[in-house]
Amino acid sequence: MSVLVTVIDPPDTSGKRRTLVLAEDRVGHYPEFRAFFERTFDLARVGLSQPGYLNVSTGGTYELVFLGRSAEPFPSGIEINAIVSALEPIDEERVDHEIWAILRWVIEGVGPPWTVQDLDATGRLYRVPAAQGPI
Amino acid sequence: MIVPDMIGFGLSEKPTREHAHSLDGHSANLIALVRKLDLQRVTMVCHDWGGPTGLSCALSNLERMRALVVMSTWAWRTPAAEFHTRIFPWRTMHAPLIGPYLLGKHSALAGRGVYLSVVDREKFRQRAQSAYEAVLPDPASRLLTWTWPRWIPLDDAARASERFDWLESELARCTLPALIVWGREDEVFAADVFATRFKELLPHAEGPELVTGRHFLQEDSGPAIAERIVRFLAEVRRREGI
Repeated sequence: MSVLVTVIDPPDTSGKRRTLVLAEDRVGHYPEFRAFFERTFDLARVGLSQPGYLNVSTGGTYELVFLGRSAEPFPSGIEINAIVSALEPIDEERVDHEIWAILRWVIEGVGPPWTVQDLDATGRLYRVPAAQGPI
Repeated sequence: MIVPDMIGFGLSEKPTREHAHSLDGHSANLIALVRKLDLQRVTMVCHDWGGPTGLSCALSNLERMRALVVMSTWAWRTPAAEFHTRIFPWRTMHAPLIGPYLLGKHSALAGRGVYLSVVDREKFRQRAQSAYEAVLPDPASRLLTWTWPRWIPLDDAARASERFDWLESELARCTLPALIVWGREDEVFAADVFATRFKELLPHAEGPELVTGRHFLQEDSGPAIAERIVRFLAEVRRREGI
């Protein structure tokens, strides 16, 4: 069963905390990746005013913080935070699988020549646990 | 013999921001080392990114250089390595967000990546893999493993285009004694393209000498390469009348 990733409105974060799970300093290294985030989260209009939020069908909620850098198109970088219960340790294995699901969602959205099939094959080649299948 | 741990690798400090790294910055670090130690009559042995950095150092400090040895590397924009143009696996590995995940969180280069880039994988696994992994113990320490791939020039907008153009033109004028050594099984920089191009730029060079080895040829043929370099330097000494 495939894991679904959905853009959601800002969630209620009372009783929650943000924990940084992935950071990218150079989202425009391949400009089509930056373009994907810009159109998905309407960043030309929204700018730095609010993060983006994702729900993963296995239960996780994630916040995407878009970073700006002088002289570079926006966003220049992205931080992904898991939004988790404030005082509970995160489930590392589940988060890892959910990040993988988010990466597959990104590649699907960026589109050709980038393909989920190539991402999956790359994950399997390097024996990333999440690329082997669900938990 | 001096084997510098480049900043970001080995036991050297590891900056945690991508913008801390640049090709010219790494070359300047090497130049600083050469000058600090006041090295003279240097034989620069260059492998992989050691090519662009080591050759930048050598070609801008010719008065301190004695000879060049190039191994499975490159110093120009074109021809690009066909491997580097592929989406699977190369460009996917270091793509935005995927690079920090695969190469950072999951140590794809220090772990399985080097393992896949040698011929005798079992020997590598038993004798060397743990050393590669030990010096890059956590995601932040592995930053350069996805930053360096992003500096490979694949189009006109690439950040290091000017440096690679300079390297190519300076190499073509270089008269230092040179030796070209290549991994016979190198799938990244194929010998028939890249060793051949070095020979065109350095027609006086010895080689290409093909040895058993994929991209990390020193893991399969370290003693053979060392023996070949020793013979090369003996010949350089003989020609110098020393």
